[in-house]
Amino acid sequence: MKKMSPAKISQLFFLFLFLLLFVRTEYRGSDTISVAVNSFFRVNPLIMTGYVLATKSFIWLLFPALLMLLFTLFLGRFFCGWICPLGTILDLATKRIRKTAPLRLFKGNLKYWLLFPLLSASFFKINLVGLLDPIAILVRALTLFLYPLFGDSIRQGWIALYRLMGDSRDHLAPFYGVIRDYLLPFRDTFYPLAFISTLFFVFIIFIERYETRNWCRNLCPLGALLGLAGRLSPFRRVPGRTCGDCAACRQTCPTSFDMDILQKEECILCMECVLKCKMGRARFQWDSITSGGQPFLPERRVLLGGLLSGFFLSRLFRFANPEARAGLLRPPGVRDEGDFLEKCVRCGECMKVCLKDALYPAVTQAGIEGIFTPMIIPRLGYCEYNCTLCGQVCPTGAIPNLPPDAKKLEVIGKAVLDKNRCLPFARNVDCIVCEEHCPIPRKAIRFEPLKDAGMSDKKVTLKKPFVVDELCNGCGICEFVCPVEGMAGIRITAVKDRSPIGGGDIQSNGEEADPYH
Amino acid sequence: MNRRTFLKLAGMTSIFYHALLRDLAAAQTPVLAVAEGKDYSGITMNAVRALGGMKRFVRNGDTVVVKPNIGWDRSPEQAANTHPLVVRAVVEECLRAGAGKVKVFDRPCNDERRCYVNSGITAALRDLKKVELKFVEDERFRKVALNGTVLKEWELYGEALSANVFINVPVAKHHGLTGLSLALKNVMGVMGGNRGKIHRNIGPALADINGTLKSHLVVIDATRILTGHGPQGGDLRDVRVLNKVIASTDIVAADAYATTLFGLKPADISTTVAAYKKGLGEMNLNRVRIVKA
Repeated sequence: MKKMSPAKISQLFFLFLFLLLFVRTEYRGSDTISVAVNSFFRVNPLIMTGYVLATKSFIWLLFPALLMLLFTLFLGRFFCGWICPLGTILDLATKRIRKTAPLRLFKGNLKYWLLFPLLSASFFKINLVGLLDPIAILVRALTLFLYPLFGDSIRQGWIALYRLMGDSRDHLAPFYGVIRDYLLPFRDTFYPLAFISTLFFVFIIFIERYETRNWCRNLCPLGALLGLAGRLSPFRRVPGRTCGDCAACRQTCPTSFDMDILQKEECILCMECVLKCKMGRARFQWDSITSGGQPFLPERRVLLGGLLSGFFLSRLFRFANPEARAGLLRPPGVRDEGDFLEKCVRCGECMKVCLKDALYPAVTQAGIEGIFTPMIIPRLGYCEYNCTLCGQVCPTGAIPNLPPDAKKLEVIGKAVLDKNRCLPFARNVDCIVCEEHCPIPRKAIRFEPLKDAGMSDKKVTLKKPFVVDELCNGCGICEFVCPVEGMAGIRITAVKDRSPIGGGDIQSNGEEADPYH
Repeated sequence: MNRRTFLKLAGMTSIFYHALLRDLAAAQTPVLAVAEGKDYSGITMNAVRALGGMKRFVRNGDTVVVKPNIGWDRSPEQAANTHPLVVRAVVEECLRAGAGKVKVFDRPCNDERRCYVNSGITAALRDLKKVELKFVEDERFRKVALNGTVLKEWELYGEALSANVFINVPVAKHHGLTGLSLALKNVMGVMGGNRGKIHRNIGPALADINGTLKSHLVVIDATRILTGHGPQGGDLRDVRVLNKVIASTDIVAADAYATTLFGLKPADISTTVAAYKKGLGEMNLNRVRIVKA
C-alpha cells in the first residue's frame, strides 16, 4: 500500500470523527451529550459570519470559528484539504468518476454570486448560509435520509428474521443489541424534504464528473469565504505557476490549476504537488510577495450585486400561509420567530437528536425563507418533558441550551380542545388519555364531571377535560396520544406570547401559581 | 376402575397431595401477604415467601416475565414507576428459584430509554446474569382472541404470552380516569396498538385482557404511593411513603387491598369491580386471608 500523505490521514481522521460525532448525537443513556456533531459547525467561519451579520452580535459558542478564520488568514484554505468531511467524501469518490471537460457555467464569479447574497441576506436578518454550507448539506442528507435509511434497512432485516425464526431470533439479540445501542438511530423516522436534502448531496457528487472538487472550487460558499481569507496568507506554494517543462501539477492538483497560474484562493494545501513533483521544485514556504497576473475576483459589481440581491432574497419569500403558521411550533426555548430565523443554521442536528422524533424540517409553514428550520409536529412526536438535548446540540444557540428545570417552563404553544372530535364531548364516552399523559405536575389538562351523559338511556357521569392555559407548555404529548384517529381532539397551536409558565408550580416548594386550586 | 388404576391414582394423589391441598385452599380463600419495613428488597422477599416462596411459581429453567410499571420518565421517589429495589428483589427471587431466564419490560408512555434509566431499573438490574431488561419490539405483538365483554381481540406481547410465569409488579398510584392504577391496569403495558381507545370502557376492557393474560403472581409496590396527579405525578407533595409491599396470587384481592391504602373502598375502583364480576378474583377483603409478613 502506498504511504498516505499527512493531509489524507487528517482527512480520514476528521471524516471518522464527523461520523462518530454524528452517531453520538443521540440519547444514549445520559441526559447530556458532551461532544456532538455541532463541533463541526462551531469551527465553521461561514456559520459564524452569517450569525454575526444577522444578529449583529457574537456568541462564545462560535469562538472556535473565529480561531479557524485567523488560522486561515495565515495558512490559507487548509480546512478544505485537511478537515472538511464533504471534501473527503469527494476525494474518495472522485477516483471512480470519469471526467469530462470543466463546466464553463461554474467558472468565474459564480461562487461569489452565491456567497455575497447569502451574507447580505443575513445582514437583513434572514440567515440562509446554512442552506449551502457544506457541513450542513452533509448533516441534512444524513439526518433526513441516509441515516434513517440505514436504520430502517437493518431494522427491517431484523424484523424479517423474526418472521423467519420466531423467538429463536433471541440467540442473535446480544449482537443486534450492540448495533442498536451504538450505531442505529433508535427510531425510524421519515422526514419531509428527505428528497431535496439528498438531492443537494447527490448533486455535489454528480458534478464531480466535470472536474475534481468541482463543488469546492466553483460553488462552495464556505470555501469561497475561506479562500478570500486565505488569499493574503503568506504561506504559499512556489513556483506560483506551472513549469514550462513539466506542468504535471495541472493533473495532480485537485483545485488550483485551472490555468497555468496557481489560484491562491483555491489552494487547499493538500501538498499533493510537493509529494508528486519529480523535479523537486514544488514546495510551500513563507513568502509575503504576491505573485501578480491573476484577474482579481470577485469584481466590484459582484459585490454590489450580491449585496442588492441579498436584500431582495431576504424580502422575496416572506409570504407564509397564516393557517400554516398556526401550526408552526418551534423547539422549546425559542420565544421569538425573528430571532430564531437569524440564528438557525438549518443543519438538522436538533431533528437528529430529538428523542421522540418531534422535530421535522419546515417545508413552507414558515414561508420559503424558513425552509429546513425545525418545527414540532405533535401528532408524530412530542417534546419530552425532562429532555434538553436539542438545546445542547444547537451550534448557534438558536435553540437555547437550558437546564431541565428552566426548559420545562418554556412555552412551545398551547393545547386547544376540539369539542367536535374530543370523545367525551363528541361521542359521550370516557377517555381523558390527554390528562393522564400531561407531564405538568399539577396538570395543565384537568377534568370535571359531566353529569347525565352517556350513550344509552342509562345516564352516567363522564369526565370532561379542559385545559389550564397558564400551566400548558405546549409539549404536545396530549395531541400525540389522543386516541381519536386522524386529526386529534386536542391540538397545540402556536402562540405569540411564549413567556414561561409559572415556575413555582413546577417545584415542590409552595402552593402558589395554581390559578384553579 | 380396576385395581391397577386405583393404585396408580392413589400413589399419584399422595405425591401431589400437598400441592393439591394448598391449591384448593387458595381457591377457597385467597391469601394476601403484606410486608412492611424500610428495607424494600427485604420486605419484597418476605411478602413472596409468606405466600409459599417463589419456588411455588417458578420451576427450574423456566422463562419468567417480570412486568413492572416503567411507564414514565420519573425518578423512583416520584412514585410513578415500580421501585427499582422491589423489581430487583422479585427478579432475584426468581433466579434463586431456578429461573432459566428473567425478562423485564414495559411499553412506556414516555421515551422508553429515558423511562428505563430514570426509573432506576436499568441500574438496579445491570449486574444480574440471566436477566434481560428489554425494549418492546413491535413485531412481537400478536393478535389474541379475548372473546371478552368489550374486547373481542387485541394485540398482546408475544414474550408475555409465551413465558412460563408472568409476574405482575405494579406500583400503587393515583389515576385520573380509573381512580387508581394497580395490578389490573399494569397489564396494559403488554398491550399493543392504540391503547388509548380502551379508555372509553376501561374497567371491562382490562378485565378482558386480564382474563386471558393471567398474572401468576402479583407483587404491588406500595413502598411509596402517588396519591394525586397520577399516573405520572411529578410533585413530591403527592407522594406518601408507606414502606409496604403486597403479594398475592389473586390479582383482584391484591388491587382491593392496595385500594384501602389510599383510604378508598375496592368498590370505588371500576377496574377492580369489573374484574371481580368477571370472576378473576375476590374483592371483598373479609373473604381474603391477610398475612402480615
